[in-house]
Amino acid sequence: MNSLQERDTTLTKAMNKAINLDSPHAIKIDRDYKQTVGRITSTHARIVCKNVHVYYGEKQAISDLSLEIGNHEVISFIGPSGCGKSTFLRTINRMNDTIAGCRVEGEITIDETNIYDKGLDVVPLRAKVGMVFQKPNPFPKSIYDNVAYGPKIHGLASDKTEFDAVVESSLRKAGLWEEVKDRLNEPGTGLSGGQQQRLCIARTIAINPEIILMDEPCSALDPIATAKIEQLIAELREHFTIVIVTHSMQQAARVSNRTAYFHLGRLVEVGETNDIFTNPKHPLTEDYITGRFG
Amino acid sequence: MSPSVLLLTLLALSFAGYQTGKRRSLKIAGGKISELHSLPSFYGLYASLWCLIPPLFIVVVWLSLESSWLANSVISGLPENLKVQSNSDRYVTLNDIKNVVSGTTLGTQTDPAILNAAEHYRDLQQISRGLLSVIAIALALAGIYFSSRRINKNHRARNAVERVMTGAMVLCSTIAIFTTIGIVSSVLFEAIQFFKSVPVTDFLFGLDWSPQTAMRADQVGSSGAFGAVPLFTGTLLVSLIAMIVAVPVGLMSAIYLSEFASPGFRAAAKPALEILAGIPTVVYGFFAALTVAPFVRDLGQQFGLTVSSESALAAGLVMGVMIIPFVSSLSDDVMNAVPQALRDGAYALGATQAETIRQVIFPAALPGIVGSILLAVSRAIGETMILVMAAGLAANLTFNPFEAVTTVTVQIVTLLVGDQEFDSPKTLAAFALGLVLFIVTLILNVYALHIVRKYREHYE
Amino acid sequence: MFTPYISLENTVNIMNNLTQTSSENTRTLSTFDMVQKSLPKRRAAEQRFRLFGLMSILLGLIVLLVLFADITRKGYTAFLQTQVRLDIYFDPAVLNPNNSPLDRSSLGKADYNALIKGALSATFPDVQIRREKNELNAVMSSGAAYELQARVLDDPGLIGKTQSLWLPASDDVDMFMKGNIDRNVEESGRRINNRQLGWLDYLTADNRIAKHFNKTFFTAGDSREPELAGIYGAITGSVLTLVGTFFLSFPIGIATALYLEEFAPVNKWTDLIEVNINNLAAVPSIVFGLLGLAMFINFFGLPRSTPVVGCLVLTLMTLPTIIIAARAALKSVPPSIREAALGMGASKLQTIFHHVLPLAMPGMLTGAIIGMSRALGETAPLLMIGMVAFIIDIPKNFIEPATVLPVQIFLWADSPERAFVERTSAAILVLLVFLISMNGLAVYLRKRYERRW
Repeated sequence: MNSLQERDTTLTKAMNKAINLDSPHAIKIDRDYKQTVGRITSTHARIVCKNVHVYYGEKQAISDLSLEIGNHEVISFIGPSGCGKSTFLRTINRMNDTIAGCRVEGEITIDETNIYDKGLDVVPLRAKVGMVFQKPNPFPKSIYDNVAYGPKIHGLASDKTEFDAVVESSLRKAGLWEEVKDRLNEPGTGLSGGQQQRLCIARTIAINPEIILMDEPCSALDPIATAKIEQLIAELREHFTIVIVTHSMQQAARVSNRTAYFHLGRLVEVGETNDIFTNPKHPLTEDYITGRFG
Repeated sequence: MSPSVLLLTLLALSFAGYQTGKRRSLKIAGGKISELHSLPSFYGLYASLWCLIPPLFIVVVWLSLESSWLANSVISGLPENLKVQSNSDRYVTLNDIKNVVSGTTLGTQTDPAILNAAEHYRDLQQISRGLLSVIAIALALAGIYFSSRRINKNHRARNAVERVMTGAMVLCSTIAIFTTIGIVSSVLFEAIQFFKSVPVTDFLFGLDWSPQTAMRADQVGSSGAFGAVPLFTGTLLVSLIAMIVAVPVGLMSAIYLSEFASPGFRAAAKPALEILAGIPTVVYGFFAALTVAPFVRDLGQQFGLTVSSESALAAGLVMGVMIIPFVSSLSDDVMNAVPQALRDGAYALGATQAETIRQVIFPAALPGIVGSILLAVSRAIGETMILVMAAGLAANLTFNPFEAVTTVTVQIVTLLVGDQEFDSPKTLAAFALGLVLFIVTLILNVYALHIVRKYREHYE
Repeated sequence: MFTPYISLENTVNIMNNLTQTSSENTRTLSTFDMVQKSLPKRRAAEQRFRLFGLMSILLGLIVLLVLFADITRKGYTAFLQTQVRLDIYFDPAVLNPNNSPLDRSSLGKADYNALIKGALSATFPDVQIRREKNELNAVMSSGAAYELQARVLDDPGLIGKTQSLWLPASDDVDMFMKGNIDRNVEESGRRINNRQLGWLDYLTADNRIAKHFNKTFFTAGDSREPELAGIYGAITGSVLTLVGTFFLSFPIGIATALYLEEFAPVNKWTDLIEVNINNLAAVPSIVFGLLGLAMFINFFGLPRSTPVVGCLVLTLMTLPTIIIAARAALKSVPPSIREAALGMGASKLQTIFHHVLPLAMPGMLTGAIIGMSRALGETAPLLMIGMVAFIIDIPKNFIEPATVLPVQIFLWADSPERAFVERTSAAILVLLVFLISMNGLAVYLRKRYERRW
């Protein structure tokens, strides 16, 4: 523990030195691989990103981003629109592959495997790193089939009882079971927005991933549904590493251990959530969280 | 004055009207265009429209009524032995007369009655055309006079011109409706004539089709020969074979092109595949009859099968190839309409591309795909030339794809081509078949377009 | 056995590498392991699926290739015509038996066949029996006489002279020379008998028989004799019909599209028009033929077999295509352009004619060309209105009987003569060239003027 704290402080100093405090454009990287700031929740960093650059065609969306994400931590990405936080999230399970012209440089490793390795198959990667999207996107199938879909394609269950078990336990974990247990065969698209999003979460956890990426999961939902999802995230953190992109600083404060602030495609600051919100080190972060822009 | 000369004269007059109107407006304004309500050219157009539209209207109405009036008066002037005739004979006589008038049978036609009638016809036509020319030109001049009198500084010529143009547009847009009405009425009217001699039930449920036996007009009683069931089954069989080829191949092509193919391959293969849809059906017919049918027959012989050289299989296969791009481009559109969010959802769960397509995109796009397939079926049912050239004429009631069958469209063509009489049950039967064809394809089209539209709205 | 969440605490240790399967720990399988286990099967399924897709496309393309290759193989020979070189003596005794002053009408009526017969018997003096003479004369086409007639009428000075001329051979000889008649078949089974075979061999050895470019094919109308048949009449008919169709359907189509897109209120009536247009686009073409027959010919009494009826029918048939394309083109013009013009005080029509229409025009033209290319290939409705008649003369206007290229193809495809097969194929090639160039033009227009807003 001691050594970790030590590392944090030295890194904070290094970072403050690296970042020109006056201008966001003058952020300079003074060494090859800049360690992230803030204490990683477990001793083991699961996701390690080194000098990641992301381009959409000619346009650079992420520049030189380095970050470590630990086991069983909830980290939230905040920042103004277009700052690249969603783009970065999609690089973690290679969902950006579906966007034409998207190119990733640098290195992202999950459990010491480079996920941009040429020979890597994205299917097991995505089974391991699940994702929940901004807008609920249940398949136009029944609630049951939505949840059972992942286990089915991955061969995680073989008979009806196993499927029933995994559907029930996933829906229970997603806090949706009581609401839908009598209408499992109705289409998932018929649920309310909040229920749909929880269905999508249930669908994701049904394949028992280790990391869950959430891309503004509550932005399309009303406050009550949002509260339910947030409560759900709090429960899920016991089992999963969760990376969540959010527009709402309150949400970040409520659900995450650590918070990373993105600005114009750069990671400006990352640290313990409490620290970020009470004692931001970078003026841009301060401006953002005090509501001066964003 | 022949109609084309008259038309040119009217155009020239309307140009003169344009100049008159424009000059007059300029004169009234004293050269200050800003004092006029509209630009001078609008006054010109105003005058030219007045000069053109009323005479044109008269010309069109006159000419469309002229021929039947001429025919009636010429026929009534014929000697008694030619006068009392059935409709078809009357048509033939009239045709003879017209041929003499146009000079195509000059010297070969010797019947004095016909020659006299042709003389009569020519006289009447000359009188009619002369009268028409006088009236039309008078109207045009009156139009110029009237319009230029109305031109003054405050006259809203632009609004008037725009009203006329809008009116013309409305008129054009109703053509679609009139076409449908025209189709329905022309087919329905003749079909009703047909059903007077052959009961509807015999036609729809009869198992025997041999229209040739009713060639002679007095043989109306042989109604058993107009049972259209073999035609319906033949059409179904060929369409079925075509769809068995077109649906899987078309769908898989669409999937490959939109999901798997590299941009370069897609850019080359998509238009190449669409060439298949642009090849005229008569070419497919030739190909089916001369290449595919013998090939299928020989292949069948290799396996000890007797395959007719006009087998339903050969025609159906070629038709299926023709429909491939139809299915593939429609289903490509439909699958592209499935929101990216659904794909993302499946990919994020770790589904492979094939799994995403099969289990998420395809089911989501299913209504649209069904709609496209129905449209393709409607096209297969209405396809004519391939079948006329490659399928048989014998109305076999069979579902054996190796035998020759005939279809509704083939029979329509055979019954009507080269035949000039229009009240024998034989020709009328073609219209009854046309009615069935129209109704079936109409239902398919309307239903298919409806579900495709609903589907699109669902994802928009 | 699926055991949800048992392994959560172990996963960190188990999951060391995404690409390697860790089989040591069989007690508790993680998702990752199970995914890895099923992965080869799934990847194979994926490959299979891809392969099916690729095969489907290849199937389509192969059929396309086979079709083109087959028709080219059958048709390219039709561009050559077998000709025989004969030394024709323009015998005054035959051409001008009365020794009267030369005038065109008597020269036109002279027996030119006799000249050919004379030249043939001069080449083969041993042929004496009447039946054999007939067989010998059958080597030449009846068109050879017409050619001599044309030459003499052109230059009466030829009379009395001898000229060595290439004249068309009959279709059977043509087929034989092109290898379509096998000399090894039994005599009764081929259309060239042994004697004729001998003469042909002699002519070949004497360099008196050769294949030359088939000009007739491009300059003649239809004929019962394959070697005299050409596509010029059909092409003229097609051009007349298409021009008429274009000038009817394009303005009407644009007017309709403008009305529906720019003026029409959204109500039941315009809905009905729209449903009608969409449906008409899918009505079988033969139904339009029935409409043409019942409406234009029987009811309005327009002349049968003429381009004018063809125009009307094809106009009604292509209108939906043109309207739909024109509407799409109008839709793609952004509303800001309209607002800008209206904001300057232009009237609605001025806005449309000065700003919207020019911008939408390339798209509309593209649609029209595609509609026209469909009309060019259309056959069935034209059969209904009698454009299948056997017409030798080249049509000169819209109310003379005519046929069109696809119908000509249909007619020839139905003819029993072997020589018509290659002519049909050649006519198809010509038709395809027209179609491809029209579509190429459409693609060019779209590429050249396509604008992204």
